[in-house]
Amino acid sequence: MTEVKSAEESSLTDDFLGQLISVGEVDILVGVPTHNNAKTIGPIVEAIQAGLLTFFPRERVAIINADGGSRDGTPGLVVNAAIGDERRSSKMYTLRTLHSISTQYASSPAGGTALRTILSAAELLRAKACAVISPESTQMTTDWLAALLRPVYAETFDLVLPTYRRHRFDGILLTNLLYPMTRALYGSEIREPYASEYAFSGRLGSHFLTQNPWHEEIARAGSEIQFTLSAIAGGYRICQSFLGTKQHVERHSADLVPALRQTVGALFSSLEPNFSLWSTKTGSQPILTTGAEQEFTLEPLRINRKRLRDMFSTGVTELESVFRAILSASTLAELQRISGLDEEHFRYSDELWVKTVYEFAVAYHKSVISRDHVIQALAPLFRGRAFTFLMENRDGSAGDVENNIEGLCLAFERMKPYLLGRWNGRE
Amino acid sequence: MREMIISELTQAMQEFTRGFAHILPRIIVLVIVAFVGWAVAYFLRLVLRSILRLVKFDKLSESAGASQLLSKAALPSATELLSRFVFWVAWLGFILLGVSVLGVFGLQEQIAKFFLFLPRLFVALLTMFFGLLGAGFFSRAALLAAVNANLPSPRLLSVAIRTIIIVFVLSMVFEEVGVGEQTMLVAFGIAFGAVMLGLAIAFGFGGKDMARQFLEERFVQGRKDEGKEDELSPL
Amino acid sequence: MPVEQDMLWYKRAIIYQVHVRAFYDSNGDGIGDFPGLEQKLDYLAELGINTIWLMPFFPSPLRDDGYDIADYNSVHSSYGTLEDFRAFLGSAHKHQIRVIIEMVLNHTSDQHPWFQESRSSQENPRRDWYVWSNTDTRYQETRIIFLDTEMSNWAWDPVSKSHYWHRFFSHQPDLNYDNPAVREEMWNVMKFWLELGVDGFRLDAVPYLVEREGTNCENLPETHAIIKELRRKLDEQFPGKMLLAEANQWPVDLRPYFADGDEFHMAFHFPLMPRMFMGVKLEDRKPITEILQQTPEIPPSCQWCLFLRNHDELTLEMLTNIERDYMNDSYAQDKAMRLNLGIRRRLAPLLDNDRRRIELMNGMLMSLPGTPSIYYGDEIGMGDNIKLGDRNGVRTPMQWSGGWNGGFSDTDPEKLYAPLIQDPVYGSPAVNVFSQKKTQHSLLNWMARLIAVRNTTGAFGSGSIEFLYPANHRILAYVRRLGDETILVVNNLSNAAQAVELDLRNYKGNILIEMFGKNIFPRVGELPYLLTLGPYSFYWFRLRKI
Repeated sequence: MTEVKSAEESSLTDDFLGQLISVGEVDILVGVPTHNNAKTIGPIVEAIQAGLLTFFPRERVAIINADGGSRDGTPGLVVNAAIGDERRSSKMYTLRTLHSISTQYASSPAGGTALRTILSAAELLRAKACAVISPESTQMTTDWLAALLRPVYAETFDLVLPTYRRHRFDGILLTNLLYPMTRALYGSEIREPYASEYAFSGRLGSHFLTQNPWHEEIARAGSEIQFTLSAIAGGYRICQSFLGTKQHVERHSADLVPALRQTVGALFSSLEPNFSLWSTKTGSQPILTTGAEQEFTLEPLRINRKRLRDMFSTGVTELESVFRAILSASTLAELQRISGLDEEHFRYSDELWVKTVYEFAVAYHKSVISRDHVIQALAPLFRGRAFTFLMENRDGSAGDVENNIEGLCLAFERMKPYLLGRWNGRE
Repeated sequence: MREMIISELTQAMQEFTRGFAHILPRIIVLVIVAFVGWAVAYFLRLVLRSILRLVKFDKLSESAGASQLLSKAALPSATELLSRFVFWVAWLGFILLGVSVLGVFGLQEQIAKFFLFLPRLFVALLTMFFGLLGAGFFSRAALLAAVNANLPSPRLLSVAIRTIIIVFVLSMVFEEVGVGEQTMLVAFGIAFGAVMLGLAIAFGFGGKDMARQFLEERFVQGRKDEGKEDELSPL
Repeated sequence: MPVEQDMLWYKRAIIYQVHVRAFYDSNGDGIGDFPGLEQKLDYLAELGINTIWLMPFFPSPLRDDGYDIADYNSVHSSYGTLEDFRAFLGSAHKHQIRVIIEMVLNHTSDQHPWFQESRSSQENPRRDWYVWSNTDTRYQETRIIFLDTEMSNWAWDPVSKSHYWHRFFSHQPDLNYDNPAVREEMWNVMKFWLELGVDGFRLDAVPYLVEREGTNCENLPETHAIIKELRRKLDEQFPGKMLLAEANQWPVDLRPYFADGDEFHMAFHFPLMPRMFMGVKLEDRKPITEILQQTPEIPPSCQWCLFLRNHDELTLEMLTNIERDYMNDSYAQDKAMRLNLGIRRRLAPLLDNDRRRIELMNGMLMSLPGTPSIYYGDEIGMGDNIKLGDRNGVRTPMQWSGGWNGGFSDTDPEKLYAPLIQDPVYGSPAVNVFSQKKTQHSLLNWMARLIAVRNTTGAFGSGSIEFLYPANHRILAYVRRLGDETILVVNNLSNAAQAVELDLRNYKGNILIEMFGKNIFPRVGELPYLLTLGPYSFYWFRLRKI
């Protein structure tokens, strides 16, 4: 492997550039950022291939893999998906050569740098439509690619975000914080502001590439949210496309803090540079969606609720000194009050949650303590909120769940002036 | 007899006066230097105070936890303290300069030593300051990590880490200043070693289940450690 | 004067496909003839042609442009007499030009005396010369070739009140090759022309000679046996003559027609031709390299015949549905251009009259493995007229000058056998031999130059081929070798300038000499060889170690 240039110098190595020269201009580019995904990447690349060949057989296409230093042979698996005249193994027939190339952008994974590599490739290859696919979406079907790309390629949308059919208790962080807050602040009813697969036009990609300063923070994570915000800020046409079922992925409790860092951290850090954008928006607009906007499945899922409740209480007690620096006195008092309630009476209300989140956002903005510590401190409170959400929705229909989420969104929107007040220093 | 005493006294008086007259100019110089020094020191104090106010030094020291310590010791705020410290050091320096002019033997050496001592004092104070800062940061980090990992007694852990860091820093400060270095070093070594040994034994015997749990969490993938039920995926 | 005796002359041939009717009219009746063709032999010799392939000139009702033959041993009166033909043949040989003629073995016209006799009654001695049946249900699995006009391979004959078999038009009944008398007579026909002096035959529609129930009636072993027999007799009695197969089949199905070098000498490589057009449109070499990878090795004495266009439609039979749709959408948006699973257009209109693309395609034609065949008029870039029905749009009079009737004939324009092309882009004032001869950089002069350069090496006709697969898929690059000679060919299939790095490690130390200008290019070293090409351009390099 040729020498890897650091992210600051250039996102493209000589070797990769040479490969791009050979690929030439393309109509559609599919980017796959990877890091040690050898177990899952095979079927995904096949699904991408099949999607391209079924729905875009005449288009010039290329698959670009941006790898963050895998040691399990992931890049090789992606490169094997190429279909050309020299490679005779393919079971699939193609009119044209299908390129599939790979580059290592760094020796350790950084989502933002991966995205930048993909965007650079898309710009040089003058791709009209691009898609980014997560290497972990094992439930991806052939149709997903078409659902994401068609609105961009055929209908001149600039950004297509996915919607899924998920279990109602899957993605509570999304339904209780990311979605409502992004919606309240930026005025767009984007269900998945932190999407693992999405499509965008070459125009938007180039805009993001040139506009965006690639800080260290963003380089590591959070580029997806930045991307979405960039599209909103630039007035680009955004739509959503229903893909299918998002499988419930078993995760460990230790994954919550990294998840918070990547998503909530990114969201909070986006507030300052985009202040002029969100401070003036009121209400929210629905986004054009093809297919269902979202679907909830209701099959039973075993969840350790008690643990959530307990970790909330522990957190409120043990982290009092930290919360005192972050939250307002009244909010903290309220949290301490509900912390003492038993399971039956415990309720982390919408309003209290919104206040909590907004106060955290302000604390993050003002760096009252180290920003990373602010994010970590949110974890136990989130668990408490998750508990309430689970209790409130355990028996309802899918429609009820949706209504509850909608109610929360409206609470976020209603209390936006509170956020603005605290933001501007009325302490 | 009386005349001898008077003449001796007179002679002594004369010698004293002569000596005094000899040293008087120097004393006058000393006084002048001291006065000038006071003025300069006062000016420095004002300037430093403004600068520190500008960079919100108080805030910084608050987050370091230094302010709490100071207020417990009934000392003024960090800004004020530092400014006054600089004032006194500057003025003292000038006075000593003046004293050196007096030409008293042996005093020169001590004065030189004092000036050599100043940088070390400064470094010590700096170490103290940043040490306190670090102690606060790491103790909070430990607290948060422990709470989120659902470990028992997170606050205890946090305070323990804070204490260890502060003790460590203090011993460094004392060593730098040269006050009872050896004592401090040895004392710290013994205390630290004892704590570590104790923890190791406790962890090894008493906490071996927890140790196993901890290691499994870190190194064995895909395990469920909280009973049989799933954890939600937040995204 | 006989042509130089050379058993493998067809490997060095440059074939010119021409219809005597369309070339030059010497007697003012509006139809080209043999004396006229004879007068134009100088032109062909200057161009560099050394083999003429004549389309059918036999007496015929001309309902299929002469492929419906009514008399095998004569010349259609419109084109002249047998004597005229003999004179032309002798003159061609004097010009060192060989002549191949058509031999339609599979069927005759329904006006042929044989068929007239055969249908007259069930007891007629020639009854068995054709394939008759009381029902039209035999050989059900056989496809229909002329889909646009025929509903079935059986036609009802009211005279003999039975059905007869015809793979082509219903007025072209198939001969019955199970009858030894038929086989005997067809050899006699061939012998007749061989004794006159022709140098070979293009055997039309060979896959369909024999029918058997339960098969698709194509490429049957019995058919191969018949050809082998013909070949055996040919080699015995007329050595040095050539048989060229017209069989529109996949390469793997074409291979049996070469057998062990004891069947056909040459066969048209039908599947390659549409893929060359596809590659240029896609700007991707994949269709071309893939079909050639699938092309099997043939015996050393055998040869592929390559062509860009011919008198028929550009056939899309040997393509998948996706490919066919792509070709139709790219090259024949006007549905009137489509016929029988093909596109009935000439070379220049297919390529939008783009001089660069025309040169590129001809360059590939001349450098890919095989003997090239040029369709008359394509050397000056003639146009077509799709309104003329069937495939007659590509069979218009040759344009010799900008003057009266394009210099083809002195007669009144209304009397011409077919109208001249008249639009301002392709009409005879714009596209004609006379003005192109006067213009130094005309297509005609360029073609002559191309042929001349091709003839400087035998590697193109007889050499091996090794494809290079540079990462840039828009570049088609291959190496031709014969003995000591090594030729590198690099083609840019795209409309934009390209850079390509070629892996020439095996040829390290060679200097590249560009064959047209004879200038030297850098020597091959350790690193990949970097070349840049303009839009649709190509290079032929001779590799030399000095």
